[in-house]
Formats: sequence, structure tokens, C-alpha cells
Amino acid sequence: MSQLPSLYNYLTVGAILFTLGMIGFLARRNLIVMFLSAEMMLQGAAINLVAFARYRGNLQGQAFTLFIITVAACEAAIALALILMLYRSRRSLDVSLWQELREPGQEPTVDDEPLPPAPAEAPLPKLTPAGLEPTQPQEASHV
Amino acid sequence: MWPRYPQRSRRKYPERSDVLMRSILILQIDGSPSANGIWPIALPIALGLVAVYLLLPRPRPYPVVWGSAAAGLAILLGGWFLIRRGIAFPENVLFYAFSAIAIVAGGLLITQRNPVRAALSFALVVLSTCGLFLLQAAPFLMAATVIVYAGAIIVTFIFVIMLAQQAGPSDADDRSREPLLSCVAGFVLMASLLFVLFRDADSKMPSFKAPTFDPAALDDLVTRTRNAAQENSASEIARTLRDTEAFQEYWQAAAADRGSSESRDLTIALESLRTHWQAWKTSGEAQPMKSTLLHLVALAEAMRSQRNGNGDPRMPAENVAALGGSLFTDYLIPVELGGTLLLVATIGAIAITGRRAGELR
Repeated sequence: MSQLPSLYNYLTVGAILFTLGMIGFLARRNLIVMFLSAEMMLQGAAINLVAFARYRGNLQGQAFTLFIITVAACEAAIALALILMLYRSRRSLDVSLWQELREPGQEPTVDDEPLPPAPAEAPLPKLTPAGLEPTQPQEASHV
Repeated sequence: MWPRYPQRSRRKYPERSDVLMRSILILQIDGSPSANGIWPIALPIALGLVAVYLLLPRPRPYPVVWGSAAAGLAILLGGWFLIRRGIAFPENVLFYAFSAIAIVAGGLLITQRNPVRAALSFALVVLSTCGLFLLQAAPFLMAATVIVYAGAIIVTFIFVIMLAQQAGPSDADDRSREPLLSCVAGFVLMASLLFVLFRDADSKMPSFKAPTFDPAALDDLVTRTRNAAQENSASEIARTLRDTEAFQEYWQAAAADRGSSESRDLTIALESLRTHWQAWKTSGEAQPMKSTLLHLVALAEAMRSQRNGNGDPRMPAENVAALGGSLFTDYLIPVELGGTLLLVATIGAIAITGRRAGELR
């Protein structure tokens, strides 16, 4: 009887990574974090494919995973270029700034709760002046 | 008597679904037989939902302790229900370590409000995924993923440093979009995926497993076939084989194994055996029967040598050369298309970013 991890264990890990990435993509508002979440979904799918390749004893799953990596590289290039453009025009990574692109019937996202105030800067230390005030006026140099 | 004839519909791998079944059985013994093993999946997932909901960034966050406690409890419970108790093989330990790191880092990725920390968590996810690849005999994919994603993560870091350096809280990092709804959507998807997986591991449906390949029974069949092939007359062969219908049926079962190439050869040999069988019934000619039986023995031994103890096909760890061969023969056109796609993506990225700032306004 074998005790080694089976196909189902790997499929479970892949499913969990995929859904975590989906939650991140849906819930987060930072464009870069959304991009990372999408990459994590791709990782979950790649784990599934490699697990099936091992299970069936052929290399088709691994070849397919290589294509996933290729497409992920393309996606990264395009996504980061788009993020750069979006940032240039709005000076922020918040995806909700682009919500006029939503469907006609949709309610806009309104941020009711105010953001917490920024933590105050730690004050610079005040140093006591060192040394003594010169008693005589400083001589002008005639050199 | 024909020894050890398997009941084909009932026989299945004891190993394949061992973990999951055992974990489900534990809870069934504990007194929820009607739940049919749903709680080992539902309980950690519900806790995970609570944890992610509490930990997602919002302007007035819940205490981190609550969310972390729920997350830790979810992971402990999931591990408790799902990890098989048994001998701690190195592969077991590595698998559970890598998957735990991947899942924890994935949770951190979506809950950290600082994008730098999110990128670091993503690096952890990628590294542990590479460990899982290595456990599954995919060394080239491991290396390729490390190289490609190392570049991707470095570029992401540059972007974070370039763009996301605001002091203080910002709309992008300190708010979530519909945290409850997105958590529910994600975890409902996760629950249904895992439930289907576990039910499939538990069920008798042959969707993933071939319930027919039993190494001991195959050895037995091979021995019997070899003995039969050494008999001289047709009637002797028939006596050694005894139940010819069951004999054919079991060979058929061994041949119907996951559509591999050797099973195709087995099916062909079985067909020729059947025709020889019919010929023998009319003519009494034994010689073609014997040669076909020997052919069957050779095929089965080749098949046996390519399987491990589970009956799973062996995957050599050094398969980089085979992968390269497969890429440049079977997948030549997709490889070329992939290269073209990379070129197009590069040109597209340059074309997108090359515009002047403000033109998009």
C-alpha cells in the first residue's frame, strides 16, 4: 500500500491557490496586487497540469505548463505596461478610479468610510547646541 | 480453480483514495454519518472565509489577532482532516511543507496592504510551487518557473518602488472592494471544487482511476498465460486457461488502462488471440495460439516494468530531454506560435507605454 501523496492532494493545492487568487483579484484595489493575484491563479492551474502529467506518465501536461509560462510572461508585459499608463494618467494605482468603465446599470463604488489619518511623522530629535559662544567678535580674515 | 478473479466493478485501488477516504471515515466514525464527509471540507473552508474576510484591508481594520487565529485554526483543521497518518516518507513531508507554505503565502498575498510584502509573498508562492513541480518529476519546469518569475517579481518590485510610494494610507491599499461578497464567491468555488474532488476520490466512478490494473493479479495472469503457452496441444491450453471468457475479460480489463500505448498493443494482441481462438475451435491448430500467448506475456511484462507498485506509469525524473523532444516534434507549431505571441506582446508593451503622458486622459 502506498503512502505517497496522490493526484488528489496536488489537485487540492491547485484549487486552493486558484480560489485564493480569485478572491485577491476580486477584492483588492491595488492594480499591482490584482496582477499578482492573477499570476497566482495561473500557478494553481499549472500545478493541476503537472499533477496530471505525473499521474498519466506522459509529458503533455508539462508541455502545456510551458505554454502557460509563455502566456504568463506576455500577460505580465502587457499588464505592467497598462498599469504604467493608468498610473501616469491618474497618479494612483487605485482601480476604482476607472469605474466609469463599468456597465450602464451598475451602481458606482462610493467610499463612505474615511481613511484613517496618516501616522504622524516622528519628530526630529532636538540637539542642545554644543560648544561655547565666542566672546570676542570673530576677526575678519585679511589674508 | 481460476485464482483471484477480481470483481471489476468493486475492485479499486486501495492506495489512490486512501488519504481522503480515511480522513472522511474518521469523521464518520465520530458521529456524522449522514453528512457524508462534508464537514472535513466545510469547516476549514468556513474558517478560512472568516479569516480572509477579517484580514482584508479596510479603513478601520479588525484586530489582526482574530483573523490570524481563524486562519491558523483553518489550516490546522484542514491539515488534521486531510493529512494521512502514516509513515513519514520524505516525499510526504516535503509535499505538505511546500503546500502549506504556498497556501499561507497565498493568503498573505491577498491580505497584505503593503504591495512590497504582497510581492514577497508571491515569491514564496512561486518558490513552493517550484518545490511541488520538483516533487512531480518536472525539473525543467521548476527551473523555467524560477527564472521567468524571478524576472517578473523583480520587475514588479521596480514598479512598486516607482509607483506605490505614497506616505500614509491610500485608497488603493487600505480599501477592499466588496470584501464579503468576493470572499463568499471565492470560498464557495473552493468548497465546490474540493467537494467534487473528494467525492470523486471516494466514489466508484472510474473518472480518474482505472480500477482494473492490479499488479498482483496481472502477475498471476502472466504466469498462467506462460504456463498455457508451454502446453503442446490445443486441449491442454484450454485446460490450463480454464475459464476462457473470464480470461479474455481480464486481459481486456488490463488492456483498457488509461489509453496508454502499451494498452493499445495489448488490445491488438487480444484481438488476434480471439481470432486464433475461433480458428482453433474449428481446426484444432494450436501453434498460432501459443505464439499469441507468448506475445501477450511479453507485452504484459513490458507494461509491468513501466509501472510502479501502484500500477501508476513511471515517470523518469530525468525527463528534460524527452520534454524537449516532445516540444519540438509534437508541439512544434504551438512553440512557434508562442514565440510569435511573445514578440507581439513585446511590441504591444512598447507601443502602449511609448505614448506621451496624459494622452489617455
